[in-house]
Amino acid sequence: MTAHAETILPPRPPAPQQSAGRPWARRGPGFRLAVLLGTILPPVPVIAALLYTDWPPVTIFVAIYLPLQLIAACAAAISQRGTRAAGDAVIIVLAIGATLLAVIVLGSILSTIAIRGYQAMSVAFLTQNTLYISPSTPLGYGGVGAAVLGTFIIVALATVITVPIGIATAVYVTEVRGRAVPYVRFFVQAMSGVPSVVAGLFILVVLILSGALAYSALAGALAYSILMLPTVARTAEEVLKLVPEELRTGALALGSTRARVVGQVVLPAARTGIVTATILGIARVVGETAPLLLTSLSNDRTIINPVGNPIASLPVFIFDKVSLPFPDAVARAWGAALVLMVIVAILFTAARLLSARRFAKS
Amino acid sequence: MTVAPQDLKPRALVSGASFNRGDRVFNRVITLAAFTALFVLAGITVFLGYQFIPVVQEQGLFFFTGSAWDPAAGRYGIWAMVYGSILLSVIALIVAVPASLLLSIFMVFLAPRRVSAVLTNLVDLMAAIPSIILGLWGFWVFQQVAADWSELLNRYFGWIPLFQNSSGNFTGTPFIAGLVLAVMMIPITTSVTREVMARTPPELINAAESLGCSLYSMLRHVALPFGRGGLIGGVMLGLGRALGETVAVFFVIKLVFDVNLFRILESEGGSVASMIVAKFGEANEQELQVLLAAGFVLFVGTLIVNLIANAIVGRTGRLSS
Repeated sequence: MTAHAETILPPRPPAPQQSAGRPWARRGPGFRLAVLLGTILPPVPVIAALLYTDWPPVTIFVAIYLPLQLIAACAAAISQRGTRAAGDAVIIVLAIGATLLAVIVLGSILSTIAIRGYQAMSVAFLTQNTLYISPSTPLGYGGVGAAVLGTFIIVALATVITVPIGIATAVYVTEVRGRAVPYVRFFVQAMSGVPSVVAGLFILVVLILSGALAYSALAGALAYSILMLPTVARTAEEVLKLVPEELRTGALALGSTRARVVGQVVLPAARTGIVTATILGIARVVGETAPLLLTSLSNDRTIINPVGNPIASLPVFIFDKVSLPFPDAVARAWGAALVLMVIVAILFTAARLLSARRFAKS
Repeated sequence: MTVAPQDLKPRALVSGASFNRGDRVFNRVITLAAFTALFVLAGITVFLGYQFIPVVQEQGLFFFTGSAWDPAAGRYGIWAMVYGSILLSVIALIVAVPASLLLSIFMVFLAPRRVSAVLTNLVDLMAAIPSIILGLWGFWVFQQVAADWSELLNRYFGWIPLFQNSSGNFTGTPFIAGLVLAVMMIPITTSVTREVMARTPPELINAAESLGCSLYSMLRHVALPFGRGGLIGGVMLGLGRALGETVAVFFVIKLVFDVNLFRILESEGGSVASMIVAKFGEANEQELQVLLAAGFVLFVGTLIVNLIANAIVGRTGRLSS
């Protein structure tokens, strides 16, 4: 409508304010009633079921609450907005339900580990090995000390082996930019799909069965490297891409060689990101069990030597202890799971904080 | 100051030959390191394939189609385990695909931004949980709940062959193992599907809404078709992980060398990966070779799934950018 028309036509009566241009804001008493009933009615049988049956709450949530809430939401939607609104009601109820279920599952996992793992916690548990411990020995003696040390040795070796190769792979893709870039990226992606048990089998057949290496921390570390490399390479590639092109061209213009550009400009600029890539790689492998079951086995003694003898590790400790028919052995497994989960959570938080800082800077 | 003419040659900026000897060495070392992934993949193919061929020659087609683990007679067939892997993955997919889609719909289109950010972190934390901890939880906590569900399913839907159970024992079933796998798959798949959905161009969403689309029809006609490739790719990445999962399945399933076609509530099943771990401990030389051959089958299977997934994700990535 033009200004000209406005000046000629007489002023219109003001439109009803509530619905002016906002049809969805029309919420009459009927709408409010439908929402109220749709929200209040479904929980009633749920509370009844909670009180009068012995079904677990999760079962009641899935089998009673979600279907009832779906019906209620659909009925409310159809009564107010017609059948086309029913689709929205279904999606919203299911989406919230799925999210709640996921949160419940995560909460269940974390709380079980925390509660059952806490029972085994003591200084002795965190520091001792299991040399003189039988499965029925009460808690308070023996623990994950050797396994923590073993996991640390294996992961440290894997990190030392993997990170340079992973960074080199990323440097090839972002700095050298040779002809094979698409192929290298393809192989790294394909490698990220190698199942952990296959990585263990590969090290087993190539190095251990051939007699080149004993079941040892180094064998486990090599198996871990196979799983770690794709994560490190891909994350490092992402962070190297964030380094501004001006830094490279500037350094080249000053006459530095390409190796110096990478070593003294690009990598230092991406320092935080490379630490993040390393942490993500460690977090990817630290709980992997299957490769260690095939390559580093387990050991009751505290082992420091990374070659020559089997070594204890946290995942294998859990694996061994949980299948024993003794409550105290199972409690030790939960304790080890808590220690492992704390390590994973620390790595996860560190990676998050570092990458948040990186993005805040840029 | 005089400058020698050769110093004036422009250095190749982006790629190509370098004039500095140090740089040539540097390039060669980096290139060599970059091909580590290829060397490892080729190594796995060659060394496991080398163990695979004699096993197939010895066992013939029975290795793929039979179901036996008989060290005394020297007969081995892994069909039950291959089928078990597929069955578990199908169960996991049936649960995880809708759950991941709904989760990402909630996070992208419904939740307030702050809730969505918290959920993203929670989903990533869930993806970081080691599979052995999932197995522990699946065995000690989830199994009881899921066995209750199985009993209810069996009581009310037992007339469907799918939910039959002859033993009255509802633990160690493919149903429970499949659900544990789904718990493992959901965060992996969700992190991809969430990003795919978040990439739906806002113009399209706004256009759909201004045409009067409801959320449902916007999802059905705009967001899902737009991200279809990425969604399928994300699901297949999760599937690749589920196929190769070892210890979580090992804990919650009762390994039986018999094809359990569809009775998901019977206490018998298995998967290739969990079989390898289960049999490795007391394997003799011949059994070990069979395990390595089974590992080769698993490797090839997951490789194919992952390559298809990456091809799909890569293609849509290029289309949308």
